[in-house]
Amino acid sequence: MGIKFKRVDFKYQGFDEKGYLALSNINLSIKPTGEFITLIGETGSGKSTLVQHMNALLTPSSGEVDILGAIINQESIKKKKIRLNPIRQKVGLVFQFPEYQLFEETVLKDIIFGPKNYGVSEQEATKRAKEIINIVGLNESYLSRSPFNLSGGEKKRVSIAGILAMDPDILILDEPTSGLDPVGRDELLKVFFDIHEKLNKTVIIITHDMNTVYHYAKRVLVMRDSYLVYDGDPVDLFTKKNIEHWNLDTPDLLKLTYEIEDHLKKPFKIRPRTQAQLLEMLKEVEA
Amino acid sequence: MNSIEIKDVSFQYQSNTPVLQDINLTIKKGEWVTILGHNGSGKSTLSKLIIGLLKAKTGQILVNGIELNPETVQDIRQKVGIVFQNPDNQFVGVTVRDDIAFGLENLQVPREDMVERIEKYAKKVNMSDFLNKEPHALSGGQKQRVAIAGILAMNTDIIIFDEATSMLDPKGRNMVLDTMKQLRSEGKTIITITHTMKEALLSDRIVVLKQGRILKVGNSKDILKDKETLEKSNLEMLLPLRILYDLEQTNYSNERIKNLLWELSLSV
Ligand SMILES: Nc1ncnc2c1ncn2[C@@H]1O[C@H](COP(=O)(O)OP(=O)(O)OP(=O)(O)O)[C@@H](O)[C@H]1O
Ligand SMILES: Nc1ncnc2c1ncn2[C@@H]1O[C@H](COP(=O)(O)OP(=O)(O)OP(=O)(O)O)[C@@H](O)[C@H]1O
Ligand SMILES: [Mg+2]
Ligand SMILES: [Mg+2]
Repeated sequence: MGIKFKRVDFKYQGFDEKGYLALSNINLSIKPTGEFITLIGETGSGKSTLVQHMNALLTPSSGEVDILGAIINQESIKKKKIRLNPIRQKVGLVFQFPEYQLFEETVLKDIIFGPKNYGVSEQEATKRAKEIINIVGLNESYLSRSPFNLSGGEKKRVSIAGILAMDPDILILDEPTSGLDPVGRDELLKVFFDIHEKLNKTVIIITHDMNTVYHYAKRVLVMRDSYLVYDGDPVDLFTKKNIEHWNLDTPDLLKLTYEIEDHLKKPFKIRPRTQAQLLEMLKEVEA
Repeated sequence: MNSIEIKDVSFQYQSNTPVLQDINLTIKKGEWVTILGHNGSGKSTLSKLIIGLLKAKTGQILVNGIELNPETVQDIRQKVGIVFQNPDNQFVGVTVRDDIAFGLENLQVPREDMVERIEKYAKKVNMSDFLNKEPHALSGGQKQRVAIAGILAMNTDIIIFDEATSMLDPKGRNMVLDTMKQLRSEGKTIITITHTMKEALLSDRIVVLKQGRILKVGNSKDILKDKETLEKSNLEMLLPLRILYDLEQTNYSNERIKNLLWELSLSV
């Protein structure tokens, strides 16, 4: 089942008649479990628009999205055939701007809002909130604070906590690490990766950080100007494709590898995927 | 000459927990300073104190030699531009054009000059095609670009960028960094707040905040080599240095590789 896009176009309706085409002919299939995907691409290419189709926040202007068996298209939404609540519960989406997600008086109320809405008791939801606030790198003292009186990175962490508390089957995060300090970034990426690896869930992350893509992704989607232009392996992407044309960049680890090769005037046999791997390769280099 | 002098400044919001304590910092005209620190360390608060959006509980702040107080704050805001961490907080106009114009109207820029500047800076951030669009109907990175254009157009002596590149694609980010370099060569004073160490490397000096206090101030290259200070405030070293330190833990003896990593580690 999973999530399937079939020839999806999406137009934002503006002041003028012609609207703004943000998705063009998207065909895409995502498995319900076991995937770890990064979605990347230039500013304004359609990434946030694409993921808002994955939990039916937006409806395709033409074409359809099959979300775990529910067919989302103009007709099904107009005729109110679809129950949206179960979709939103199963497919959790963290927004690019945490401000769009925070609206309660306290951080606690914000975090338990989702679980309560989907039938979890207040007591159970509060227990979850206390665990999750630590997982996102804050502590229980934050639970009684107003979500509006937090720093940018703290807001981001609370907005992530709210979706984690819902324990969705598929987890989608729109630029979850922008605004996080480096330690927080690494810790949270590990949390997301564990959700994928230990619970075998599908996780999708939008990012502009090529290092994140290179380190973690098993599959990369690249968007450009409303089109999906690449769907495949991250190493192939960075070593074989014209990434500059897509406004992307080479990950730091690869750049460093190239520089060392240049200096040694000898290529390595493999491309390291992690810092530890490069370290081992350097130990093999003869003096 | 000094652009900004911060003397014994402390601050707290409504609640009783101090957010900034004993801040002393002088930034010279033409200097580029980066503020680093963990989430919640006080970076954005400090930037709001400098432009007088928040008022220090104790201490004194001088901008271009003039003390910040209720009488001077309006004049001082004409000297200091700030790109906010959340671009939504910057938008006031119905269209992108209005938004860029807003800052210029406050500076009483003549009409023709205004039109020219709007076009110039929209082009600089690659947003010329979006001038008639509503700022709230833009993508995250597009909003950041517009916010940057609005501040650049004001052409102030001092510019603060509070994580202004956090949602840009790699090319857009490099474009903005090039603009910052250009501003420096024009003699502007720049303060950048960032979580990206590579960006910090471009600046002259780094201030590291931890829990509302200045943990360390120094030459950017020195701070970025200072593993202990960086770790204390949830920061990181650049990749070549991280690898070099790891190699040294293992009695690695290949001097050639070590020298190379050292060279690469702090080259801009
Ligand atoms: N509410 C809206 N109304 C009209 N146009 C919109 C709206 N939201 C986004 N757009 C436009 O749709 C296009 C795609 O936007 P989207 O937010 O999906 O981009 P993105 O890939 O997420 O970019 P970024 O990396 O900057 O966040 C952009 O050109 C944007 O201007
Ligand atoms: N409006 C507010 N009311 C009360 N406390 C606040 C308010 N804004 C921020 N704080 C608190 O003040 C401290 C400093 O916040 P600030 O926004 O200056 O941090 P920052 O260094 O910019 O962090 P980040 O990297 O997350 O943006 C944080 O602990 C935060 O919770
Ligand atoms: Mg986006
Ligand atoms: Mg901040």
